[in-house]
Amino acid sequence: MNISGILGYLATFAIAAGAYAIASLGLNIQFGYTGLYNFGIAAFFATGAYVEGIITGGHSTEHLGGFGLPVVVGVLAAMVVSAVLAYLIGIPTLRLKGEFLGISSLGIAETIRLILTNEKWLAGGVWGLGDIPRPLGNLVAPKLYNWVYLGLIIVVVGIIYFLVQKITSSPWGRVLKAIREDEGVAAAMGKNVYKYKMQSLILGSVIMAVGGAFYAHYIGYLSPESFRPLMGTFIIWAMLMAGGKGNNKGAILGAFVVWGVWTFTEFLVNYLPSALASRAGYINAIFIAILFQVLIRFRPQGILSED
Amino acid sequence: MNFVVNGIILGSIIALGAIGLSLTTAILNFYNFAHGASLLLGAYMGYTVLTEFLPRLGLGGSTFPYLSFGFPMIIAIIGSMGLTAGIMIVIDRFVYKPLRDRGSGPLILGMSSLFMALMLRNLVRTIWGPSVHYYSNEIQMVRELPLGIRITPDQIFIIGLTIVLVVLTQLFLKRTKMGQAMRAASDNIDLAMITGIDTEKVVIWTWGIGTALAAVGGVLYGINVQLRPMMGWYFLLPLFAAVIIGGEGNFYGALAGAMTVGLAQEVGTPLLQRMFDSMNVQVSMTGYKPAIAFVLMVIVLLVRSYREE
Repeated sequence: MNISGILGYLATFAIAAGAYAIASLGLNIQFGYTGLYNFGIAAFFATGAYVEGIITGGHSTEHLGGFGLPVVVGVLAAMVVSAVLAYLIGIPTLRLKGEFLGISSLGIAETIRLILTNEKWLAGGVWGLGDIPRPLGNLVAPKLYNWVYLGLIIVVVGIIYFLVQKITSSPWGRVLKAIREDEGVAAAMGKNVYKYKMQSLILGSVIMAVGGAFYAHYIGYLSPESFRPLMGTFIIWAMLMAGGKGNNKGAILGAFVVWGVWTFTEFLVNYLPSALASRAGYINAIFIAILFQVLIRFRPQGILSED
Repeated sequence: MNFVVNGIILGSIIALGAIGLSLTTAILNFYNFAHGASLLLGAYMGYTVLTEFLPRLGLGGSTFPYLSFGFPMIIAIIGSMGLTAGIMIVIDRFVYKPLRDRGSGPLILGMSSLFMALMLRNLVRTIWGPSVHYYSNEIQMVRELPLGIRITPDQIFIIGLTIVLVVLTQLFLKRTKMGQAMRAASDNIDLAMITGIDTEKVVIWTWGIGTALAAVGGVLYGINVQLRPMMGWYFLLPLFAAVIIGGEGNFYGALAGAMTVGLAQEVGTPLLQRMFDSMNVQVSMTGYKPAIAFVLMVIVLLVRSYREE
C-alpha cells in the first residue's frame, strides 16, 4: 500500500472514530456525570442518522425524504426528535431504580429498529436509506473529500467537547455529580433530582443524535443492521469505559482507542483459518465483550481517571 | 381461540425463564441481562447432547408415539439443564462474584451481564454458525380438540412439562431446607446471613435452578419453533416484562406476568391488526410482536412511577 492509500485509510478511520467520540461524549453526560445507565444508545444514534438522512437526502419515490435541505437543518431536526424520544423514555423510568432506565432504553432501541425495519415508506425498511449527500462536497475533488469531512468532524467534536466541558464544570454539572454519588443527599439539598436527571438524559441523547447525523454522512447509506446493539450501543459503552468515565477527554480518547482495537482485530481475523474467517465478525464481538469485562474488573476508572 | 393456545405456549416458555429471572433478581439483587442467553445456551446445549453425544452412545432415532422426538430428547433436556447451569455458575464464580466481593453496585453487575450476553451470543454464532437449526425435520400433524383448539402433540408436551416443572420448583421452594433459605434470602439477604444461612450456597443454588429452568425454556422453544443465535436477545424484553409485571421475587407474579406477556403478544397482535385495518391504517402488526412486551412493561413502570410520588 502506498502512502496516500495509508493516509486515506487513516482519514476514514478518524472520521468514524470522531462520530463515535460525539456519541461517547453524550454517554459521558448521562453515565459519567449523572450515573444514568442508557443501554439504548443505538436508539438515539439511529434516530440522529435517519433524521439526517431523510432531511438532507435525495428524492426517492420509495420512502419519505428527498427534502435535500442543508446539513444544519438536518442536525437540528435530529436533535429535536431525539430530545422528544429521550423525554418519553425518561417519564416512566427516571423516578424509579436505575435498572429500569437500562431495561427501557434497551427496549426503545429495539422498538426503533423494528420500526426502521418494518416501515418501508419511512426509511426504506430493510433496503435502507441511500443517497445521503456529502456536506461541502463541491469544494474539492472527490478523491480529497475525506480530508474535508475529517476537518468538519474535528471542528464538530471540538465544539461539542468545549460545550460539554463548560456545562459539566458548571454548578449544574456539580448537581449531576451529587445525584450520581447520592440521590438522597441531592434531594435533601432541595434539588429536584427527577428534573436534573431528565435534563441530563435529554442533553446526552441529543449529543448522541448529532454523532449519528455525522455518522450518516460518513457511511452514506443507512440500514437497520448498522444499528444492532453491538455497533449502536455496546461499542460506545466500551469506548467511554476504556477512556475514562466522568472525563470528557477520556470519552474522546476511548472512542479512538476502542475503534483502533476494533479495526486492528478486524484486520487480524483475516489471518484466521478459512473455516473461521466467515465468522470473524463474531470473534471480534467476543473480543470487545471480554475487553469490557477486563476493564470494569481491573481498571474501572479507564485510561484517564475522572477529573 | 387458536391465538389463545399460542399465547399459552409462548407464556409457558417465558414462564420458565421468568421464574428464574425473578429469583436471581430478588436473591442476587441485580437484573441479569444475560438470562435470555441462558435460554439460548440451553437450546444449543440440548442440540449438542442430541446430535453429538447421544448418537456416539448409540442412542437416538427412537420417537415417542405422536411426538416428533423420543427418549433421547428427555436426556437432552436433562443434560442441557446441567450443562447450562454449570456454565452460568462458573461465570458467576469468575465474573460476577469478584465484582460482588468488591462491593460493586447492582447496576455494574447488570452491565457486566449485558456484555456477557453479547459474548455468549457471539460464541454461539462462532461455534454453531449464524443460521437456524432444528431438533427434528419432522412435520407435526395438528390435532383438532374440542372448542376448536388446534394444537400439535409437541405443544401439549410443552405445556405439560412447564406445569410439572413449575409445581416441582414451588415444592422445592416450600418444602426443602435450601428452598426455604432461598426464600429467606430473597426477602432480606442480610437477615438471612445473620440467621446462619450460608448465602454463598444460596447464590449457587439460585443460579443453578434459575438457569436450569431457563435452559428447558430454550429447548422447548427449539422444539416449537427453531434454534437461532438471536433467540436469547429476543426473549430478554418479554422476560423482564414478565418479572416487572409480576413483581420481583414473586413466584406466582412471575407466572402470571409470563402468561400476560405471552397472551398479549399472541392475542394482542391480531386484535391490534384488526383495529388498524378497520381504521384503514396500513401497518403490519406481526413485525411488532416483540414490542408488545415492551409497551406493557412501560405501562407498569408508569403506574409504579405515580405511586412513588
